[in-house]
Amino acid sequence: MGKVLCKLEGINKTFGTNHVLRGVDLELFAGEIVVLMGANGAGKSTLVKLICGYHTLDSGSMTLNEQPYCPSDPAGAIAAGIVTVHQSIDDGVIPDLDVATNLMLDQLTVAGAGLLVRDRLLREKAREVASNMGITTDVRTRVSDLGVADRQMIAIARAMAHAPKVLILDEPTSSLSATEAERLFQLIEKLSAQGVAILYISHRMSDIRRVATRIVCMRDGAISGVFEKTPLDYDGAITAMLGRAMTEVNIEPVNVGEPILEIRELKLAAHSLPINLTAHDGEVIAITGLLGSGKSKLAEIIFGLQQADSGDMQLDGITYKPDNAASAVERGVHLSPKDRSSNAVIPTFNIANNLSLPFLKSFTRGGLLSWTKQRDAADKMIDQIGVVCQSADDGINMLSGGNQQKVMIGRWLLEPCRVLLLDEPFQGVDIGARRDIGQHIRHSAPGRTTIVFVAEIDEALEIADRIVVLNESQIVGEHQNINVNLNALVAQVSGANNAVECQSQ
Amino acid sequence: MNNDRFLDYAIRYGFLLLLAGLVVFFSLLASGFASPRSAVFILQSVAITGILALGVTCTLVVDGFDLSIGSVATSALMLSAYSMVILEHSAVVAVLLCLAMGALVGLINGLLIVKYRVPDLLATLGMMFLLIGLQRIPTQGNSIATGMRLSDGSMAEGAFSESFLWLGRHRFDLVLERLVPVPVVLFLIIALVVWVFLEYTRHGRLMYAIGSNEKAATLVGANVNRYKIIAYMISGVTASIGGILLAARLGRGDIASGNNLLLDSVAAALIGFAVLGAARPNAFGTAIGALFVGILLQGLTMMNAPYYTQDFVKGVILVAALVFTFYLSARRGAGGKTSTNV
Amino acid sequence: MGKLLPMFDEEKIMIRRTLLKVAGIATLSAGLLSPAIAADMPAPFDKPEDVKIALVRYLSTGDFFQSYLSGVETQAAALGVDLRVFDSRQDAALQADMVDQAIALGVDGIVIQHGLTESMKDAAQRAVDAGIKVVAFDVNVENDAIPQIEQSDYMLGKLALEQALKDNGDSFTAGYVYVPGIAPLDRRDVAWQETKEANPGIKEAAMFGTLDNPIANSVANQARSVLQANPNINVVFAPYDEFAKGVKIAVDEAGLTDDIDIYSADVSTADISAMREPGSAWVATVATNPAVVGETSVRALALLLAGEDPGASVIVPPTLITQDFLNEKDIKNMDDLGAMMPQFKHADVAMTDWMPLPER
Repeated sequence: MGKVLCKLEGINKTFGTNHVLRGVDLELFAGEIVVLMGANGAGKSTLVKLICGYHTLDSGSMTLNEQPYCPSDPAGAIAAGIVTVHQSIDDGVIPDLDVATNLMLDQLTVAGAGLLVRDRLLREKAREVASNMGITTDVRTRVSDLGVADRQMIAIARAMAHAPKVLILDEPTSSLSATEAERLFQLIEKLSAQGVAILYISHRMSDIRRVATRIVCMRDGAISGVFEKTPLDYDGAITAMLGRAMTEVNIEPVNVGEPILEIRELKLAAHSLPINLTAHDGEVIAITGLLGSGKSKLAEIIFGLQQADSGDMQLDGITYKPDNAASAVERGVHLSPKDRSSNAVIPTFNIANNLSLPFLKSFTRGGLLSWTKQRDAADKMIDQIGVVCQSADDGINMLSGGNQQKVMIGRWLLEPCRVLLLDEPFQGVDIGARRDIGQHIRHSAPGRTTIVFVAEIDEALEIADRIVVLNESQIVGEHQNINVNLNALVAQVSGANNAVECQSQ
Repeated sequence: MNNDRFLDYAIRYGFLLLLAGLVVFFSLLASGFASPRSAVFILQSVAITGILALGVTCTLVVDGFDLSIGSVATSALMLSAYSMVILEHSAVVAVLLCLAMGALVGLINGLLIVKYRVPDLLATLGMMFLLIGLQRIPTQGNSIATGMRLSDGSMAEGAFSESFLWLGRHRFDLVLERLVPVPVVLFLIIALVVWVFLEYTRHGRLMYAIGSNEKAATLVGANVNRYKIIAYMISGVTASIGGILLAARLGRGDIASGNNLLLDSVAAALIGFAVLGAARPNAFGTAIGALFVGILLQGLTMMNAPYYTQDFVKGVILVAALVFTFYLSARRGAGGKTSTNV
Repeated sequence: MGKLLPMFDEEKIMIRRTLLKVAGIATLSAGLLSPAIAADMPAPFDKPEDVKIALVRYLSTGDFFQSYLSGVETQAAALGVDLRVFDSRQDAALQADMVDQAIALGVDGIVIQHGLTESMKDAAQRAVDAGIKVVAFDVNVENDAIPQIEQSDYMLGKLALEQALKDNGDSFTAGYVYVPGIAPLDRRDVAWQETKEANPGIKEAAMFGTLDNPIANSVANQARSVLQANPNINVVFAPYDEFAKGVKIAVDEAGLTDDIDIYSADVSTADISAMREPGSAWVATVATNPAVVGETSVRALALLLAGEDPGASVIVPPTLITQDFLNEKDIKNMDDLGAMMPQFKHADVAMTDWMPLPER
């Protein structure tokens, strides 16, 4: 192992009352590939943002090459030699410009750069960068014409053009195919051989097995385990990552009632195996899987936003084939979508108006909306689901993320439904609100069937009676939520052993 | 805390206070300003732009924009004249033709934007040019009046019917004899209808939701495309009503681009953002915005201010209103107590 | 009318191809059937079909310009010459290029209709240098070889005000509609300033005006405020028919038709019907017939071509048209006006014995 390149000691960070990082120590050595694992909210992304200059730390110290390192902004971090490739690729590329310009973009902002862009020179340099990365696309192609994977490679290639000392990759393979991922791994190994320290953030066990030389696990803002003895102890790492979060909520799976929603031979992708799933009255099913495993697509098909390639659905024994959201709602199928700020919140509305939006018809009197009716219903829901606010008249943006999410879910509980779909209901929600939401969902479960789509295993374990694992658009495992074999579950989620059919019932 | 409350009051009532202040100012300085007749004059001078502005407000609510309203109004002006003077239709036919034309233009605007994904500004800009040109083709660019020579050499025998002119010229008795003109009554009725529609029906509420977060509105089952098209159709119809009233007032089919109508009514709608601290398009604000401009111009004219100061004054009000909306309201926290309910 | 504000009216051109054809046929028939007329005319009009003239226009939209064009066309047809119309649609640079095109085409004479002194001065000089005869209407090209055709805006204002003095005596309270900076309005303003100075009894209570489209509607809104603020106004001088229309609307709405008299300039069919409405406050207007101006332009050019001198400036006199006259003769439109008022139909300027006039 090489020398210590980057060293973090006693890092603390709080946002408001939320203590996100509690005394984190981390060392990155030249030429190693450290995988950082951690559940949602463990503090991984905050840690990364501190290192790459988006946040400043409250206390603790960072050194780079034994010099104090304290970037004031992302540009400072890049200048110091720490380069980050973020998960959301579209932040990394400019779709309307060509590949060459995208690759050389940083050079254009350098002080003292010439006034005129010399395209020929730019393209030449860009070709060099591209060929180093094994990118074969013509550099004159517009990025908007490229697929997601190519965009990701370009974002990474641009990062590489800086010749970084430390490279941070945040879930880099989440939108790559197996061959593209392999190309990336080869590159990572090449870089690490050149002495670059790599911090690799991922959940995907197959990636971790492929590249990790050391695994660091985080939980609740602190390092919960470091694994560096070869062979690496992957099971130990999973336990360290999930830790006590598993035991805190005790789920007693309910006795299920009549079947409500039956999914038969439904194909999520042209070449995947069909899905069969029956959801019963009173039951809460968690469907879990990585990004791109087909969870969201399944949710959208059930809610009528997409059509399945083949297969059919039955709702209460009657054929169910919704064309759009309105026809799904009509049949009593409600969906609380993921990513509330872009898919659910009406930022200019108050709480009551946000809550009542899907069911305005029932709040009208003589064709006109009745504020009293809306307020009464909102007050009731605010009380039930525990939204912290002054009144139903508060603007939605005055609420914290967790309380906003409660309103977004409460919106779909205002009227009774047959199927409640919750896509990533705990996204951007603090632990307290997460418990409140989970409790209310379980509490109100009888009379409908509830399907929760989550990427994080611990979230699934917290809420569901039954956990269904999706991988590559097909069901690869199913578990009753009692004494779940965690390792098997994690293995299924990460697609480590697709071939092995392991059901722990 | 005290400061916050002051700010809150300033944002909420600042513009209305300014309006009241203006009225007092002019009443003291311009003799004859404070009278029912003067009030009606102001209303009349803003009635037509106000009606157009209410239509624009509907498109603003769904986060759209309609640049074609001015040209829709002048097209309706020409169409009504053409219909009555040259085709010798009755007033009812002329009015119906104009309303249908407005609805059709709105429908086309909506389809261009929703179906063909043309950005709203570009689609309605194109429509604006198209209409400005189109309204001149049937008359070879001439204004239309009774007795005009037609291209085949004959004379136009038709005339504006009395009942059509009634729309622009009749005055109802109120306090004084022959006080309130029809356009003012129509303006108030349309303002009331649009206000109730936007604020108190579920359709209006969904339109606001679409304007604020289109994706979220789709996911609660709203038919976003239909509401957008409806917004442009409302805008087209109100613009054609404006054109009809204009024709009835002028009594002839005057060619004009209608750009001033467009700019004045957009200004009224934008000033409306600031009224009651709404920070968003709203019918009440739009009506007040139009009134605000009208009061200022009436007062200035009565005090013999030259014509070229008028645009400057409108600009000052608009900029002030936009600062109110975007700076002060943003400081208070977006989406604060800007409830749709009173 | 309309001519004051062409720059506010972005519009289409009307090259009337059909009319040109008609003119061409007229030319032909004139050549074939009535050689007697041609024989009486001096060279080069002894062979009129060989004479090519061009009309190079800057402004073309609106009733005024159409009427002007028809005047040019009918006079050209009466002479039997070949007329080409170039229309630059308010593009000053293009208009200069069009003069060059006309030179290249080998025309004998050019009528320049409106334009900017700056852009047309050199182009006009080039035409003169090429031996082409040029006349200019309503644009000063600063060239001694080029006669100016003008309708006198000053006279338009003057005649209207003389009528106002005649009707109301030399002391009255006036409202004046004026927007400075528009050349014809500025020239009409000179007449107003002179009249005010000469008659201290005239009190200007308010001056207002706007060019916001539609102009009549915007002026009406202003006029109403003005009339309310100044209830003693009994005369309104609105030397542009769109202004007059706006004031008339305001006067009607205020119910003051009996108390106020409106004096204006310009006339159109619509203006005639507005003046003739029962109890209309619009009592008089002063106008030059644009078709007559068009005819005069061509006649002046013909004189030049025949080697005669039309004078450095040819002024087409305006005509006073009163409401009483319109009612008396039951005049409904511009055609009636021409028929009932010979001085409106034809101006006896730029005339010679041999000059053929259009069919009446």
